[in-house]
Amino acid sequence: MSRTGKSSRTGTRRTAKKRLQLPEVLDLTAAAPLAQSFITRRGADLTIDASQVRRVGAQCMQVLLAAATTWKTDGKKLSLEKPTEEFLEGSHLLGLRLEDDLAVGEPV
Amino acid sequence: MDSLRQIFFQECEEQLAELESGLLEIEGGSEDPEIVNAVFRAVHSIKGGAGAFALEDLVRFAHVFETVLDEVRKGRLSTASPVTETLLRAADVLADLVRVARDGGNVNEERIHTSADELAALSGAPIGANAEPEEEVSFEDFGFTPVAMDFPVFDDIAVVDTVSVEAEAEPDATTYTISFRPHPGLYTNANEPVVLLRELSRLGDAQIVCDTSTIPTLEELEAEGSYLAWTITLTTTHEEDDVRSIFEFVDGDCDLEIITGNAASSNDEPAGVDDDIAALLARVRGEFTEPVDESASPAASAADVVVGLAGSATAETAAAAIPSTPIIEAEAAKPTPEAAKTPPPAKAEKAAGSEAPSTNQTIRVDLDRVDRLMNLVGELVINQAMLSQRLTDAGLARDSEFATGLDEFEQLTHDIQEGVMAIRAQPVKSVFQRMPRLVREVAAITGKKVRLVTEGEDTEVDKTVIERLADPLTHMIRNAIDHGLESPEKRLAAGKREEGLVRLSASHRSGRIVIDIADDGAGINRQRVRAIAEEKGLIQPNAQLTDEEVDNLIFLPGFSTASTVSDISGRGVGMDVVKKSIQALGGRVSITSRPGEGSTFTLSLPLTLAVLYGMVVTVAEQTLVVPLTSIVETLKPKAGDIHGFGGDSRVISMRNNFLPLIDVGRELGYRSQPADPGAGVALLVESDGGAHSALMVDAIQGQRQIVIKSLEENYGRVPGVAAATILGDGRVALILDVDAIVAASRTGASNSETAFALAG
Repeated sequence: MSRTGKSSRTGTRRTAKKRLQLPEVLDLTAAAPLAQSFITRRGADLTIDASQVRRVGAQCMQVLLAAATTWKTDGKKLSLEKPTEEFLEGSHLLGLRLEDDLAVGEPV
Repeated sequence: MDSLRQIFFQECEEQLAELESGLLEIEGGSEDPEIVNAVFRAVHSIKGGAGAFALEDLVRFAHVFETVLDEVRKGRLSTASPVTETLLRAADVLADLVRVARDGGNVNEERIHTSADELAALSGAPIGANAEPEEEVSFEDFGFTPVAMDFPVFDDIAVVDTVSVEAEAEPDATTYTISFRPHPGLYTNANEPVVLLRELSRLGDAQIVCDTSTIPTLEELEAEGSYLAWTITLTTTHEEDDVRSIFEFVDGDCDLEIITGNAASSNDEPAGVDDDIAALLARVRGEFTEPVDESASPAASAADVVVGLAGSATAETAAAAIPSTPIIEAEAAKPTPEAAKTPPPAKAEKAAGSEAPSTNQTIRVDLDRVDRLMNLVGELVINQAMLSQRLTDAGLARDSEFATGLDEFEQLTHDIQEGVMAIRAQPVKSVFQRMPRLVREVAAITGKKVRLVTEGEDTEVDKTVIERLADPLTHMIRNAIDHGLESPEKRLAAGKREEGLVRLSASHRSGRIVIDIADDGAGINRQRVRAIAEEKGLIQPNAQLTDEEVDNLIFLPGFSTASTVSDISGRGVGMDVVKKSIQALGGRVSITSRPGEGSTFTLSLPLTLAVLYGMVVTVAEQTLVVPLTSIVETLKPKAGDIHGFGGDSRVISMRNNFLPLIDVGRELGYRSQPADPGAGVALLVESDGGAHSALMVDAIQGQRQIVIKSLEENYGRVPGVAAATILGDGRVALILDVDAIVAASRTGASNSETAFALAG
């Protein structure tokens, strides 16, 4: 969660293109850009990095779920790693069992 | 994100206005439960929206506020005057917090603390928790304190003792099954299911199941759509009201069904409880809970007879769960009058609440678009005038077919124009609503007791006028309280009520809006005004002035009656600035004052800044427009009525009065020789402070509706000219600034300036 952690992770994303870093705030306004970033990464295995997430909103979760469905249809692997407590709490409150749809890694 | 934020803050403004007007009605003695509900909803919505944007200060304060309002709503807290005063102060603080959240800046921490403490004291929440709100205590921790506090009370007091305690301390947990499906609108309105679900789970044990079956694939997904739905099984000691209130401000933006639960909780009822007490409990619940929506509870249909008598959600639950318990029979056998009476008002109130939002549909439109439309309609009016001019020139205008067609066209353009102006028109309420707060603050600073009465808040006027009205009004109301009203002691000594009255009223009068600011204070102290004006060299010591003229002295630049500059009225803005800004809007200010009875300031303003009715006149072969509002009468002067008056000045004799005759052609530099008064027309005009003068023009062409085109925007400011317009023949005509022309003719000095500006 530190500053250095963030920058190094951004760096990783640039080299390994099959990662998607979720933004800190997954609120109403983040949904459309998030859907877009999934669409541009289609057709390959993808790891979602949830380590920066501080706030979760239902619409972004819709996007995540839609992505999971799409990746499943495509026969590709979609996994989520390093979910923060906030991320887990949010998805718990929303009554979502993300692990049913994608491989969820250990919390940070 | 920005646009959502903007919508949120716009809505905040609306909610704050609603909050304040509701509180003021409550203060005025209204006991309509719908008003209390509206007030509660306003704060609740602000809290909800603020939560979505993580504005924690706002959420925290709104929550404390809301808790108190909830007490009021439930009838546990009376709305006696100290309570409403606290609530009004809290509303002010909330407004500050919203403003800070929007514009940045600093909040007055101390004020927030004081207000939060006051609120906490009212709701019975522990004060310590609020005293240090920025510490570890997060806003979640405040949740529903009053209920938690009541448990020990319940243990100590016999069940039969007080009704409210029993209803409150209901120890049984009830299970609700809530199905919740948001519409896309819920998200658009910046609401967040996570927030709602979090609040729900705070009420008790919540099992949340999400229905993800309608989630499409990425291509079909609309990011802003709504695909998720939830079923929540909530086991809680709270009443259905509390559960429902969580969804209160997404009402209409979602499908919501709350089914009051299963038998489990009812079975927990202590077996040893005497039948009588159990019946009493059921009855008490009947009085304190709203009936559930019948359709939401199909299982309960068998118990409808009972519902009709008891009207109780809880009783209904019990009936559904244990259909033949003695409780129900006892209840049915001896319905108490109270229980029978309770349900209808509750239902009626609910129905009214659900219908209200659908009646008044509005859309938000960017002001620029309306302005563009307004501009186009202006062009249309000009075009129509041109068309009619051309037909006249071609000699066709008398042809009856053309004439009828033209008339209809003219009528249509006129209707369109009015329609567009109606879009821009807004009730003055938005400005008037800011005043109660101002009055409270100024009253507090000056130590005076003031009651503000507003009238005609629904009077509509152009939005631009409204926006530019706020500052002058604020200043005049400050003045009315600071200078107009006497101190409570003086008032009592003068045999008046201790509480001073400031009346703010608006009305439409002959195509203008008239706003009165009246106080019942001591009136203008003319001797003092005169003495100050003399001292400051504004008038000659021996000048003969009428009372009216003395009153108008306060509008002179450099005049300030307060011997010490108070921090209320004396902020470097005098009444001259007020007058200037009103004049800039094409308005006028006048005063009437009666010693001992108070003063009234009257503002008269045009309804719109886009069109005016004007008299089209010819001056030195130029076409000019004189606003009709400033013309009192017109006359054809006889050569014998005109008298020279030192140098070039002339006066005209009218009904035994001599008025200055102003040669417009010379003032504007169109000609150097004085016009022949016998050949022209004199327009008697009223200018600043009601002084009359006569404007000399060559001929009158007619009266017409004029579309105002700003000269300042398109060219530059020209002294003596207010704006320009385009006439039917396509020529540009200047609109005279009557006050400026009159003022210039008095000094005579600006002649050259005027001529220069026009030449340039």
